[in-house]
Amino acid sequence: MIGEIIINAFLVTLMLTIAIFIINTRKVISTILLTGTYSLVAALMFVSLDAVDVAFTEASVGAGISTILFLAALSYLPKEEKEEKFNLKHIYAICTCTIVSGLLIWASYDLPLVGQLENPAHQHLAQDFIEGSRNHIGIPNVVTSILASYRGYDTFGETVVIYTAGIAVLVLLHDGVSKISKINKEKK
Amino acid sequence: MDNLILKVCTKVLFTPIILFGLYVQFHGDFGPGGGFQAGVIVAAAFILYAMVFSVEDCKVIMPPKLNFFLLALGAFLYGFVGIIGLILGDPYLSYDVLGSTKEAGQHIGILLVEFGVGLTVCNVMISLFYSFANFNFGKKNND
Repeated sequence: MIGEIIINAFLVTLMLTIAIFIINTRKVISTILLTGTYSLVAALMFVSLDAVDVAFTEASVGAGISTILFLAALSYLPKEEKEEKFNLKHIYAICTCTIVSGLLIWASYDLPLVGQLENPAHQHLAQDFIEGSRNHIGIPNVVTSILASYRGYDTFGETVVIYTAGIAVLVLLHDGVSKISKINKEKK
Repeated sequence: MDNLILKVCTKVLFTPIILFGLYVQFHGDFGPGGGFQAGVIVAAAFILYAMVFSVEDCKVIMPPKLNFFLLALGAFLYGFVGIIGLILGDPYLSYDVLGSTKEAGQHIGILLVEFGVGLTVCNVMISLFYSFANFNFGKKNND
């Protein structure tokens, strides 16, 4: 119990520190790398919550591939962020952030404790899923059986979303690529 | 990039990364993992190759046309597994009828569906990287 608290406190402090550094830095490349580090710490957080599948996804997608894609997109961006003087926009932002985070912290008092059997999340369908995963589907990893079988429609939707997003980016960038390569060929 | 150590390391690591991706893909029923993670890991191997050698070299081992084909095939495979169930007289995306027993059917269905997810994710990531990298390349040449 004590160990868990120490680990969680350490991870939260680390995340907060990284977040502060992300806000402070003006270099785009350090922002990208720090965001990757933040995802990695978030993955550790998910491990400490026993959500190994989510942690795996966070580590590979959040820390791995999105960092690489950001780095690949880096050359379109300016190297450094412009310094902006304190103005009215900042005051609006501060007000919004304070109100929203205040509301969220207030709402967090109503959340049940993590890992309690009486929690609403464990009352409704969870038991059917866990028993069905063993008796009906026969797969030890409950996450996979929910993801692919019980909630197959949702995962199909996710796959189609990724497919559509990929196609959309390809349509947007591929046109530019072919135009630029044409120009290059004409130059040669 | 012209660094001998990086090139040799990439050549050594390329196969184990893909092997690990396949392990994550097909062992997802028994441990953490599944199509999404495996797709990203396999894509990472190709992206590493493209970064250390060049995008053109990577296009030799993974042509963009094959990429587009596999990208669509993954989503199609997922939908098609559902339709097989529909034809055999079960609701859409219920895998019970795919095997000799209900359990075997579920195993086959989940394996195929996860493979479809993996294919789509992997190829979307690779083609995204291709389009970003290509775009840069053209831009630098124009300057």
